[in-house]
Amino acid sequence: MTEGRTEKQVLEELSNEERALLKRVLEVERAKLHLSAYDATDDLLDAVREILP
Amino acid sequence: MKLQSITLTNFRQFKGVQTFDLSSDTIKPVSLLFGANGAGKTTFLNAFTWALYGLMSDDVEQQDRMVTDSVWRELPMGDTAEVAVELRFDHEGRDYRLLRSATLRKESDQQGTPSPEVHLWMTKPDGSSEIVGAPQETIYSILPRGVSRFFFFNGERIENLVKKGAYAEVQKDIKVLLDLEQVERAIAHLPKVDRKLTAELKKHGGDKASEIQDAIDTLTERQTGAREELKLLEGDLATLVEERDSVTDLLRQHAEAAPIQAERDAVTKELDEARTARDAAIAERAHLVATRGFLAFTDTLGDATQAMADNLYQKGALPAPLKREFVDQLLEDGKCICGTELAEHSEPWEHVKDWRQRAGLQAVETAWQQLSGQIAPLSGARDELREQLAALMKRIGAERDRVARLEERKSELDGKLKNSPMEVVADLETKRMDLDNRIGIKNQKKGAVESELGTIAKDIEAKTKERSRAAVTDELAAKARSRSDLVQSVKRALEEILAIREEDMRKRLDAELKAVFSSITHQNHVPTLSEGFELTLHKNVGGVELPVPKSTGENQILSLSFVAAVSKLAREIRKERRAEGDAAVDAGTYPIVMDAAFGSLDQDYQEAVSRALAKMAPQLVVLVSKSQGLGKVVTELTPYVSHLGVIETHTTAPGSVADDIELEGMAYPYIRSAESDHSELKVIK
Repeated sequence: MTEGRTEKQVLEELSNEERALLKRVLEVERAKLHLSAYDATDDLLDAVREILP
Repeated sequence: MKLQSITLTNFRQFKGVQTFDLSSDTIKPVSLLFGANGAGKTTFLNAFTWALYGLMSDDVEQQDRMVTDSVWRELPMGDTAEVAVELRFDHEGRDYRLLRSATLRKESDQQGTPSPEVHLWMTKPDGSSEIVGAPQETIYSILPRGVSRFFFFNGERIENLVKKGAYAEVQKDIKVLLDLEQVERAIAHLPKVDRKLTAELKKHGGDKASEIQDAIDTLTERQTGAREELKLLEGDLATLVEERDSVTDLLRQHAEAAPIQAERDAVTKELDEARTARDAAIAERAHLVATRGFLAFTDTLGDATQAMADNLYQKGALPAPLKREFVDQLLEDGKCICGTELAEHSEPWEHVKDWRQRAGLQAVETAWQQLSGQIAPLSGARDELREQLAALMKRIGAERDRVARLEERKSELDGKLKNSPMEVVADLETKRMDLDNRIGIKNQKKGAVESELGTIAKDIEAKTKERSRAAVTDELAAKARSRSDLVQSVKRALEEILAIREEDMRKRLDAELKAVFSSITHQNHVPTLSEGFELTLHKNVGGVELPVPKSTGENQILSLSFVAAVSKLAREIRKERRAEGDAAVDAGTYPIVMDAAFGSLDQDYQEAVSRALAKMAPQLVVLVSKSQGLGKVVTELTPYVSHLGVIETHTTAPGSVADDIELEGMAYPYIRSAESDHSELKVIK
């Protein structure tokens, strides 16, 4: 599936909503990387609801 | 992360409060500190890890004596002494002040175990400051503890970084460093989000949608279970392979077994190549048969077709005397060539229309002309196919013979080792074979689980498609379904991104490692970072790649090359355009602090390592003794040094122990007699 493919290609194939959610998810995870006890579920759920209200 | 300064307070040999400036720029990234044996170079290195993680390396003895001995000795009973390390650094546009300190009350001459507290202050670019609430966790996020061993290390023990058994750990650490962890965490968290969304779908979506969702949930559970099983299997496999390799290594080192094992290594390698060549030839044959095999059956077909066409020519049916397109034109124009009007459904019209059925199609005639042109070359192509097939069969036969011959030779060698009169050799070989068998079984299981995972993934995809087609009338359920679809496709994209990043990272690390290593070593040895993250060294002997046992020196150079490659890649990768958006200017920047960087290396290696060192990190703190650092090292590093210092040894040892160190044409105190044993950080420039 990933043979010869690049990250850029994967991103380009996504819809605007998918790209927005992917970026948001990584931002959320990155900001809380230092908190091992952090449960991302609610923050990520909010992000999904923001993108698809 | 760039270091600005370090302040030690009564920290081991460093009595009182002592600060060393470490700020540097890209032109002069190096801070060079000299110190005699026992002066505190290792302590200085450990001050960094103690400040960051509260830990010191195992080679630091008497770890409970944290406060300077003479300070503790002079301290009245019941009074307290402070031990602390303060580290100032900046990271991704923010300034940090980290303080780890402990206060110890003197209750006896023995020091108690300190309970240090850690505080972290952060200043943002706008000048606002704040106390960081989770200081230790924040430090871990800036530089995870496991990763720190790539940046704070003892040169003489650095080979531990690449020793057998460290791979799994190294791989894990590098993932964090090269920005893969947030992707892994996102992939782990998204299914939880999806479960909440699909619960809404089940609640509001009606029977059909609910039933499909139940099936997806079951499949997802199976997927999670299979993934865990796969992870376990991979772990077991890694352990078994490592064990087998160490047994094979023992056979390579055993005087009696070594020549046989060396031959077996070469035969095994050649056998692998022969099997690959055989399989490639078989695949080529299959491809030829699949794409051109039909030609074999065109022998009579061509002749029959030609005869049929000749017959039609003889009858005058070819070329067609009348074209259907011509008749259609007459009917459309409503006038025959003889001038008769062709009114629809009139007698002349019906008459001309009859001709339409008898007329030939231009397209058919063109097709025939093209086809007839190809009948003659068919026979040539058939001959060519026969020749190609014969050549391939010959190749397959030759490779099969080679495989058979090598299998026989390898079996002979296996037997020689297994039945060796030397009991140790026979035992080792039996153990190796047993491990080989166990690896085979685990590999089979792994294959089965991987195939199961493939099937599950396909089933989930199919069910998800079915779900999107299922009629959902409720608005809430429809929304939940769209959201779940969104989450699933983002998760799939993240999984692909993770795989791309992992493979890209390994390939680039491998290339960088080869480049750095070859710039240092004078041996014709080539390092390779395998897919399993195993670091091996090979040499080419008459066209055959053979593994070479790594000497201590070579291991040190290999490790340094690895650190250099990791350090460079961390900076590069974090700056590239990626899904997270733009990175900070200094993203992926870490200092390297190394004690005894040149360990026991020869002079020429010292020179090459120094040269590589100056270029390998954006900031470098090097701790050396006179014997390790003067000469080649100083010459190579001097143009890059921004801070030069000496850890002055003060000793109560009797006699004339005083010694100086000459740096840049000036003599500086190196060892001095004193009333207490301690060390002082002296800045030279």
